[in-house]
Amino acid sequence: MGRFFSLWGYLVLTLFFAGTLAGEAQAQDKVQGSVKIGIMAPTTGPWATEGQDMVKVIEILAEEINAKGGLNGLKVELEIGDDGGSPKTAALAAQRLVTSAVVAVVGTYGSSVTEASQDIYDEAGVVQIATGSTSIRLSEKGLKRFFRTCPRDDEQGRVLADKVKELGFKKPAIVHDNTSYAKGLADETRAIFKKEGLAEVYFDAIIPGDRDFAVALSKIKAQNPDIIVFTGYYPEAGMILRQKKDLGWDVPMVGGDATNNRALVEIAGAEAASGYYFVSPPGPDDMNSPAAVKLFEVYRNKYKELPSSVWSVLAGDAFNVIAEAVTKVGSDSGKIAQYLHADLKNYEGLSGQISFNEKGDRIGEVYRLYRVDPQGKFVLQK
Amino acid sequence: MAHLVEQLIYGLTVGSIYALIALGYTMVYGVMKLINFAHGELFTLGAYFGFVFLVTLNWGGFFGPAIAIGLTVILVSGLVAMAGHLLERVAYRPLRHSDRLAAVVSALGASIFLQNVIMVVWGSRYRAFNASLLPTVVWQVGGQNIPLIRLFVFLVAVAVMLGLYLFINRTRLGLAIRAAAIDQGAAKLMGVDVSRVIAVVFIIGPALGGLAGLLVGIYYGQINFNMGQIYGLKAFTAAVIGGIGNIPGAMIGGLVLGLLETLGDAYISGAWKDAIAFVALILILVFRPTGILRERVAEKL
Repeated sequence: MGRFFSLWGYLVLTLFFAGTLAGEAQAQDKVQGSVKIGIMAPTTGPWATEGQDMVKVIEILAEEINAKGGLNGLKVELEIGDDGGSPKTAALAAQRLVTSAVVAVVGTYGSSVTEASQDIYDEAGVVQIATGSTSIRLSEKGLKRFFRTCPRDDEQGRVLADKVKELGFKKPAIVHDNTSYAKGLADETRAIFKKEGLAEVYFDAIIPGDRDFAVALSKIKAQNPDIIVFTGYYPEAGMILRQKKDLGWDVPMVGGDATNNRALVEIAGAEAASGYYFVSPPGPDDMNSPAAVKLFEVYRNKYKELPSSVWSVLAGDAFNVIAEAVTKVGSDSGKIAQYLHADLKNYEGLSGQISFNEKGDRIGEVYRLYRVDPQGKFVLQK
Repeated sequence: MAHLVEQLIYGLTVGSIYALIALGYTMVYGVMKLINFAHGELFTLGAYFGFVFLVTLNWGGFFGPAIAIGLTVILVSGLVAMAGHLLERVAYRPLRHSDRLAAVVSALGASIFLQNVIMVVWGSRYRAFNASLLPTVVWQVGGQNIPLIRLFVFLVAVAVMLGLYLFINRTRLGLAIRAAAIDQGAAKLMGVDVSRVIAVVFIIGPALGGLAGLLVGIYYGQINFNMGQIYGLKAFTAAVIGGIGNIPGAMIGGLVLGLLETLGDAYISGAWKDAIAFVALILILVFRPTGILRERVAEKL
């Protein structure tokens, strides 16, 4: 059996290399008339749905550009590298993409996966635009050609704090659950409150997986806050809402994107969940930019459904800004990077306006405020 | 010390749930000197059986909440009792005359097995009970908020425990259980059917555990397949605090643990709630290894 498999392995490898070489030879032939854009996406592995959606979205956008005569007369060619959702595979995929002369690469989803490929692209001088990697440190390395269309983890805290302030609340109580995500978000939000002169009246953790929050609620109530900011996950958020109602206390509550799950309403009951706010990137259901509407129409015709999450749409945005840069400054990576840093301002993307700061992080708000209506539906707030 | 009465009520509610589960641990330990690690999973099973009746079959909509809950309590207790009995037959009875370690390993295996069965059957995501099943009534007494449902949970648990106490102390079967707990060999010589005693213990304990699971499901409204782990651990702690093998001890241990946790949460920090519970366990083990109520069986070991 072992020998049988290894034989097959060789065969597959041989075919694979033959295929790649042939592809490259072909590409060499018409490099004059085309511009190559790489996609590094997890088309296999645990995040395969995300990765496949990324490719689908970009393929639709590329076809559209080519149908209109390409970028400055150059046809767009896509080069897909599968990162398998693993840093190890990502390094190989990145090596392959840089040797096939792409001007820029879209991707990828996981932060650790992106991190494994960053240096490879940087050394090769290729622009990389990550699409789902929210880890803060990716853009803190001083890489000149790294960008991302997704928000950073600290962005959420800022939006959360801003929304609380905008809604006119003055005395927030902050509750987290000591997980690194929730604690980080709580600290971030607290720091911004402080900067804006908003002092929280309560700051403490609950225990994730716990079920009884009556004590926590009565302690919070004693501080008389006008809103509860909960940065943990939906199972606890649902029970806090429910027990809050049991106590006959109708203080509003707001949470982060980890509470964006329908089960929240099931657990709390529509009545207790009604009025609950949370911030989250908008799902494809709620994206209403003209570009997004157009994309989703084609997408739905082709695949009979919408992309499953926001992240593949952000990959579409990454592709669009690259195309925009190529149209404006040509296909030199250095010039593209410079253009994206300095000249691309408020580009109308699928997920809203796009600009990048000097670190390559996206400026502008991706997070939106949602509120649960009395029927338990999540409604995007203006 | 504001809202002390409120906190005490919360503590007693949580504690009475721990006590109900702890009774299962302590009765089995009393008779068999075995820690039934699968007891937490029987608790989870109770919650899921309740989920089937009240959510999947929507009995609340059929019969009205009061009858639906009454029926569910009886059926869930019965079904979990059957599961407990089966567990004893399959996992413990064949090992009764072998090493005690073998039985402990079998208990751990049964725990993992049951947890995974629950996960496969009902899935790994959180399940929710209908929130409108129970009316929300809050008593305002002197500025303290007392949700009526908490008193209800507490009273149900106390009534069940009182019934159990009377059963153990006033009936012949109860006497047999006590006899078997003191000395199995001597009890056998006196004509006590120890096998039957063990079977009874494995019916009553799981029934109470299942009832606790149902109460948790109805009250908190959210269940998942591994909820039995932390509740089991807390209840076991309660049993040890009260003196394992001692039935009133388990009741007292449960309430004490619930109160300790709640007061720790209220007056120290919420994040330290679990730490406080387990520090209490360590202190009890160091300074009073036999528990609050001195446990007769352990003294002989």
